[in-house]
Amino acid sequence: MQAKAFMRDMILSELEDIVGVENVSTGDSEMLAYGVDYFWIGRMWADRGQKLPVPEFVVRPKSAEEISRLLKVANYYKIPVHTWGGGSGSQGGALAMAGGITLDTKRMNKLIEIDEKSRTITAEAGMVFQQLEWYANERGYSCMHIPSCLTCGTVGGALAHRGIGIMSSKYGKIDDQCLQMEIVLPNGDIIETLPVPKHAAGPDLNQIFIGSEGTLGIITKATFKLFEQPESRQFRAFMFPNLTEGLAAGRDIMQKIKPSIMRLYDEAETTSIIKKIIDVEEKGNFMNVALEGIRRIVDIEMEILCEICEKHGGRDMGSEYGERWYDNRITFFYPGHIMDIPQMFGTMDTVSDYKNAEKIYWAMKNAIESNFPGVRFIAHCSHWYEWGTMIYDRFILDTPPQDPDEAIRLHNQIWNTGVRAAMANGGVINDHHGIGLKLSRLMKEQYGPAMQVFEGLKKSLDPNGIMNPYKLGL
Amino acid sequence: MLSQIAQKHADACRFCWMCRHLCPVGLQTGKEANTPRAKGLQLSLTQRGSASFDANMAEGMYECLLCDACTNDCVTGFEPPLYIREARTQAMVEDIAPAPVVQVLDNIERTGNIYGEEKPTFPSKDNAEVLLYVGEVAACRVPQLAEAYMRLLDKAGISYMTLEQEPPSGAMLGDLIGFTQEVQDQGAACVKALDASGADTVIVLDSYDAAVMRQRWPEWGLSAKAQIITATAFLDQLVQEGKLKLRSLNQTATYHDDSRAARTLQEFEPPRALLAAAGIALSEMFLHRDLAKCCGSSLANAYMPQITLLTAQGRWHDALRTQAQLLVTTCPQSMELLGRAVPQDMELIDLYTLLERACE
Repeated sequence: MQAKAFMRDMILSELEDIVGVENVSTGDSEMLAYGVDYFWIGRMWADRGQKLPVPEFVVRPKSAEEISRLLKVANYYKIPVHTWGGGSGSQGGALAMAGGITLDTKRMNKLIEIDEKSRTITAEAGMVFQQLEWYANERGYSCMHIPSCLTCGTVGGALAHRGIGIMSSKYGKIDDQCLQMEIVLPNGDIIETLPVPKHAAGPDLNQIFIGSEGTLGIITKATFKLFEQPESRQFRAFMFPNLTEGLAAGRDIMQKIKPSIMRLYDEAETTSIIKKIIDVEEKGNFMNVALEGIRRIVDIEMEILCEICEKHGGRDMGSEYGERWYDNRITFFYPGHIMDIPQMFGTMDTVSDYKNAEKIYWAMKNAIESNFPGVRFIAHCSHWYEWGTMIYDRFILDTPPQDPDEAIRLHNQIWNTGVRAAMANGGVINDHHGIGLKLSRLMKEQYGPAMQVFEGLKKSLDPNGIMNPYKLGL
Repeated sequence: MLSQIAQKHADACRFCWMCRHLCPVGLQTGKEANTPRAKGLQLSLTQRGSASFDANMAEGMYECLLCDACTNDCVTGFEPPLYIREARTQAMVEDIAPAPVVQVLDNIERTGNIYGEEKPTFPSKDNAEVLLYVGEVAACRVPQLAEAYMRLLDKAGISYMTLEQEPPSGAMLGDLIGFTQEVQDQGAACVKALDASGADTVIVLDSYDAAVMRQRWPEWGLSAKAQIITATAFLDQLVQEGKLKLRSLNQTATYHDDSRAARTLQEFEPPRALLAAAGIALSEMFLHRDLAKCCGSSLANAYMPQITLLTAQGRWHDALRTQAQLLVTTCPQSMELLGRAVPQDMELIDLYTLLERACE
């Protein structure tokens, strides 16, 4: 936006008129808070003293109606609008790369309803997910969406990038857990998806907007499934001789029972991060499984789990390691425990069927380690489906280039190499972190001609292209 | 601008998102700047020379209750209040603190309290072994709490005195400008006054004062001759010793742990024991004890009343979900803050007034 003379003040007045003077920010220092999300490049950029990508205005609406009015103003002036929830995304999806307006949703944090009859919970999209979980917990339920960003991401943020939690193998991803949404379209119209997600009334409207990362509209309200808290949660850990057997065991487990947590680590991660946190002192492929629900069923599932793992050479390590992992499940993400600047790092979480999973793992590992000397590659599989699994591949470079432009170039080369190796072997560009700015350039490679479906939607819903520019390849 | 240790903490927090769900100000204002991460990032950028510590940033540093919910959550032990307090010092040094904050500082400098008023005095006996340190909030805004406490002491046969010129402990000024020498001097003057009283026990009504006396004074090399005990803990002892007998009120209530009692003093049991002794069935809020959500502080209320109204409403929102119709607290500051936003059909009462009703 290039506003001349006092035009900026004219626009500011309109924004203030909608949300109130106290809910519009333009102060330089306050903008800095929106200039960095969890994206490595943004963090490195800040660390190296570079100028941050900040918006010109931050608005904090209280309702879908206010958002509707804001989007009408933004469309009239053709001002970019970037939606910000917790700002905890790792893909740069919330950064205001085109300037303009950042719409911070966190004032929209009301609990709307807990329907115990239907076992659903409905809240505004700016609520931090932990708050939603606590509301559920107060009544003895859980949403069972327990990601590492539980305490910092919002309801809308989880939906916008198709998030996932550690319990996903039993309770599903966010797109399985969400039943209905309210969305403000770029033209200001407020729409609701159908009351229930299973129907034969055309394509699923929910799934068009879940994962749209603020490019097609703004999610303002959502309803989720509620689950009863499990009567029993039991852990068991195993050490497999290799990844092949571990993956085969994981597949067989998913065919026969429903673990909530199942995490299989490659040897590099078993002997590094897992060793550090839970003190496992041996080589191999560590697997941690949690079973939960009615105790009698869990007891039977545990027998089946042990049988499957034994069949695949998994050595039973008992319950202690799994319990220790669970107790430390958030510890991994606090300063001092998680990778941080000055290291360069990234998580290329890909997803594939079982047929290709191990092939993808080795292809990515070889591509990255052979092309980028000094870069370490570690991985684990932590979200499992009946047909395949997610591979949480991470690269780490301890001493990246000091020059920020050079660092970005290397960062993107590593990402291109890793993600292309995954896609070439049947993997999908991303499982649950989303696309954002980080992977935007690779979306057309992933989708090919199918990308025109998204481009058509974008053109139709957002003809002025104001919604979160440069993200999702749109 | 920041000390080395504060810089280390700010740098650790700048890219960590983990504790925002507990920030009472962030949750109510919805501002990203009101997260420990944002404040750490801003200060970290100033240290790197890529941002200026300006009035806008200084204002943000004051939009924090210093309630330590973030510190309490941090697995690796980082403390956002550490760098926020130091930033406040810097804001004062650079003369960029918000005008309402400067007004409160003027009040403290003129009168010794945040209200800029003459502090009321309370009836007192001479040469008692026990001294009741009332504190400025109870004295100026919640005298009924202090008076109820004094009547309980009378009923228990405890002879006590108060100070006619009660000096500030340093709690308010320390939160306003950071732990500067001026604040430590305030603490030293308070120690001197307590020592001069000859009391061997000092009962402290306001947990903010108790926290600074117990935690900060020793760090500053200060030590009062008397034993320092919170009002609630002292009362609990009296009940346990049978000096104060309570009958059952047969009511249900929820209890608000104030942030300094909960997270600095970690004193949870005495108020609960007293409630139980008075036959009060406790219906706990989901966030209680060390997780309790701060409702605001009297200091913050003095310079940002719009925001503390929101934080008080936030705590009432928690209380309403317990189904209890009575909210009890021991904290004078909580009484002042929560008192601004009592919902319909709810009653706010301090523990001491409630216990008076239960006295046989």
